[in-house]
Amino acid sequence: MHDPDAEEVAKAGRGDRDAAARLIARHSAKLFGLAQRMLASRAEAEDVVQEVFLRLWTHAGRWRPGGAKFETWLYRVTLNQCYDRLRRRPTQPLDEAAEVADEAAPPGARLDESQLGQEIARALETLPERQRAAILLCHFKECGNIEAAEIMGLSVEALESLLARGRRALRSRLQHLKGFAGDGQ
Amino acid sequence: MTDDISDRDFAQAALDRLPVSARPRDLERALIAAYDAWTATRPQGRWAALQAGLRHFSDSIWPGVPLWAPVSAFAFALIVGGGLGATLPSIVNDERPVFSLEQPASFSLSSLDVTQEDL
Repeated sequence: MHDPDAEEVAKAGRGDRDAAARLIARHSAKLFGLAQRMLASRAEAEDVVQEVFLRLWTHAGRWRPGGAKFETWLYRVTLNQCYDRLRRRPTQPLDEAAEVADEAAPPGARLDESQLGQEIARALETLPERQRAAILLCHFKECGNIEAAEIMGLSVEALESLLARGRRALRSRLQHLKGFAGDGQ
Repeated sequence: MTDDISDRDFAQAALDRLPVSARPRDLERALIAAYDAWTATRPQGRWAALQAGLRHFSDSIWPGVPLWAPVSAFAFALIVGGGLGATLPSIVNDERPVFSLEQPASFSLSSLDVTQEDL
């Protein structure tokens, strides 16, 4: 399988600035999007993308075409960085968590587009990290189940199970909203 | 199955409405600057070329491990092999009977050593 990035990675590892710039232009926006939705923080997402590319440069000289696809490796490193950051976050005390939950729109509330977006983002944040990652990879990266499973280091069956549970959980968290997702109102 | 499909459609519709997260304007510039900093600090010259060559060689033998691992394995194999090579021949030679035309024979071809059955 031809990897369109392999040659650029090798060049960047040898100090070719243009190749590095092309890799950055090709991947940084998508990686930032994934990290930002995983972490719900722009600043942290920027840090993650910086760390991922730094790791890329230090490994670029040793990159061997024919192994894992470069993009798959890049997304896997990004996800691992996100997991690390999520695990390092201090756990929220229960009383604070209850206050956050109160910010959610009341059942049956009609929301404008931006409120709805925020509500969905908040619901997404409450999903377990691996379910969130599976949903985001399949939706925003538009990768198939096989590629997403490879990125997450799972079997395709395990990924499908994560996806099904994640979608069900997301739906249950957003079920109270009106005028949404074909509920006919 | 029907439920699963509708969950998928529901999630699809929800995610389509998520606010678009614009990439920070300076991110690309910062990434290029980090690349420049990396190229400036990475080792260059003959020593770096030697290191890269060794690393490449090491990767071709034992991919993905630090250089010390194959070097240690090779050194260990060399020590064991050298040790066996030096000690084993003398042990084997000690046990084997030595024949020499200049020494008196330690065996006899006389009929005393040959039994009736052997004949």
